[in-house]
Amino acid sequence: MTEAKRSLLFSSPPDDVDAVHEFLEQVWQANPGIGEFDRMAFETALIELAANVIQHASGEGGVTCVLSVTSDADGLHASLSDTADAGGVVLVDRAMPDELSESGRGIALIQALVDELRYERVDERNVWTISKTPQAVEPPNGG
Amino acid sequence: MEFQTETIGDGVVVIRGEGRLNMVSGPTLRETVLREVEAGNPRVVVELSRIAFMDSSGLGALIGCLKSAREKGGDLRIVAPSTQVSMVLRLSNVDTILPPYESVEAAYRD
Repeated sequence: MTEAKRSLLFSSPPDDVDAVHEFLEQVWQANPGIGEFDRMAFETALIELAANVIQHASGEGGVTCVLSVTSDADGLHASLSDTADAGGVVLVDRAMPDELSESGRGIALIQALVDELRYERVDERNVWTISKTPQAVEPPNGG
Repeated sequence: MEFQTETIGDGVVVIRGEGRLNMVSGPTLRETVLREVEAGNPRVVVELSRIAFMDSSGLGALIGCLKSAREKGGDLRIVAPSTQVSMVLRLSNVDTILPPYESVEAAYRD
């Protein structure tokens, strides 16, 4: 059984990325048909996004986010809307930094893990969208 | 997250943690490794088998720890990363400087 949509409201502080992990655990339990690799890649991308938003807003006195995750035939989709000022996280195509660099990999990792990463400024909110198509088509049950 | 340390002689220390290596636990790992390196144990093994998840902040912490160990004439080697941790290492090309070892014994055999 596939569930259409789940949402999470969180504020940092006091919440951190663990709130997103726990929320995704519920999503995976409600959608057992999603493949392990797709879950892993999507969760890694979404955590990188949430961590970026939380980290950049920490100097602004915090941030409130609404996260929605949808699973459908086209794959997994997340929308993260946050109250931070515009421009805190800048979305451009990022090359992976060199091996000994200690930072700067978040956006590059997201772009390597999912098929789509978009940003819009809507009604004084930053709205981030990520989508991942399934890695492989599951064989149909019973033809 | 708390990290357990076990010194096994010859300047080698094994560090183990359980949970997620990220912006919350990364600084603790850095402090733990720095303390061991300063105490004369620059050959660091980070045993990752119970680290279920690592993000780029956690990866940055591991790389910082590697640099600290090398500055003191040692090295940092990782053991038994999970599938997710291996994926992050591979996508970021960091597996070239932090190749995974199968066991603590294998990490400092040479």
